[in-house]
Amino acid sequence: MPRKLKVTVDTNVCVGNAMCEHYASDTFALNDDRQSMVTNEGGNTESEILEAAENCPVSAITVMDAENGETLFP
Amino acid sequence: MVTAINDDLFSQTIVDDPYTYFNQIREDDPVHWNEKYELWLVSRYADLVWVARHPEVFSSEWWKRDPRSPYPEIDESDMGLYQYVREFFSDWFIQHDRPEHAEMRMVVHGYFNPKAMEQWRPMVQNAVQSLLDEAEERGTMDAMKDFAVPLPLLVIAQMMGMPNQDRTFIRELAEKLLFLGRGELDRMQPLTDGINGLLDYLSPIVDERVKNPGDDLLSVLAIGEKKGIYNRQEVLANAILLLLAGHETTINLICNGTLALIQHPDQLNAFQQDTVGRAVRATEECLRYDAPVRSIQRIASEDIELGGKTIRKDERLRWFISSANRDPEVFTDPETFDISRYPNPHVAFGSGIHHCLGATLARLEGQEALRLLVERFSNLNLAVPVGKLSYQPSITFRSLKSLPVTWSK
Repeated sequence: MPRKLKVTVDTNVCVGNAMCEHYASDTFALNDDRQSMVTNEGGNTESEILEAAENCPVSAITVMDAENGETLFP
Repeated sequence: MVTAINDDLFSQTIVDDPYTYFNQIREDDPVHWNEKYELWLVSRYADLVWVARHPEVFSSEWWKRDPRSPYPEIDESDMGLYQYVREFFSDWFIQHDRPEHAEMRMVVHGYFNPKAMEQWRPMVQNAVQSLLDEAEERGTMDAMKDFAVPLPLLVIAQMMGMPNQDRTFIRELAEKLLFLGRGELDRMQPLTDGINGLLDYLSPIVDERVKNPGDDLLSVLAIGEKKGIYNRQEVLANAILLLLAGHETTINLICNGTLALIQHPDQLNAFQQDTVGRAVRATEECLRYDAPVRSIQRIASEDIELGGKTIRKDERLRWFISSANRDPEVFTDPETFDISRYPNPHVAFGSGIHHCLGATLARLEGQEALRLLVERFSNLNLAVPVGKLSYQPSITFRSLKSLPVTWSK
């Protein structure tokens, strides 16, 4: 059973590069301002979501273990 | 009564000082039709971000799609060269829209991520220190020729796995590519020569990397060919793009940043008090205050209303980073160079899906170059009167021609 994640996008930092959407298309989408937003924290595998976070050019994405609050990325 | 707007963007006054010009336009006519070059000028921050984030309305395929003749004009006899140059640039991934753009960018995107780029910091520091050692020994330095130019070229050449001895040769060819976005009537020939020279140089190297890929940037592109995302032409064209983009812009960041610090001695002193702690914000302010890239072009895919004007399909548009970064609606005291400014949401790297691929690397090189420079030399100053400095007549880049500096020995 994959662990539950807490995924957030810092909209003060997000530039709308949208590659996160490409790495994890069932987790991220663009909002009306064309910035990234989380649509479903379980949309993709943990590995895909971490890849999206790691490849955000401005490090706007944070990924945590929802149960114990452990930071998985950054 | 509004002063008539001068549409000659390549005039030396505007080339040397775009800020006065754009502060006026942003006030008087923020979405301005430039009659001389048949081009929409976007100067407000909010409009720049909107245009950048709506790529389905404002296409990047302008080399391919622009029905108008080149601007400024070129020699009639060079129209054949223009077609050749046009086809070449159309292969750049930055000249594509979705869906192709995402696939093409994906090939190289991971190479430039923050964690990967941080691995290069020690190499960049060493390279900076070597260049500064040489300058200190000489006792003089043109911050452009002796510092800002060699550094990013060293880095991108290393990333691409190109031999060190080829660097000068690569620079000479890459300089010809800088005629892109310039105003000379006969610019097509050097542009073509630069393209052909780099294609000749890179072809055998790419051949080898396709057969035996390593973990260098050229191999990353070669893997894109193996995956069927790029054809050979596109591998070569995008290698050249990364080469050009990887150095010209960073040269400008270092030079423009150095000049801004010299011209604001209180800020230079503040930086010197704590170079490590202040490098990040100081570099961001250099990017905002005098960005390496002046403007970026797009072409309308459909009719669209913007700022009360109607932009028609196939009309071209340029958004001006230089202007947006001084927009008082976003930045308090925008004309003030303040290395502690925070937050600093400048758009030196653009916005949206085409946000600069090399942003993290540019920031890293800028931070180390500027920090180590001001740490090394006290009383850093210009070695020529400021009036002797001048800029390349480019609409795309904010490039000094030279930057002779001096310091207390």
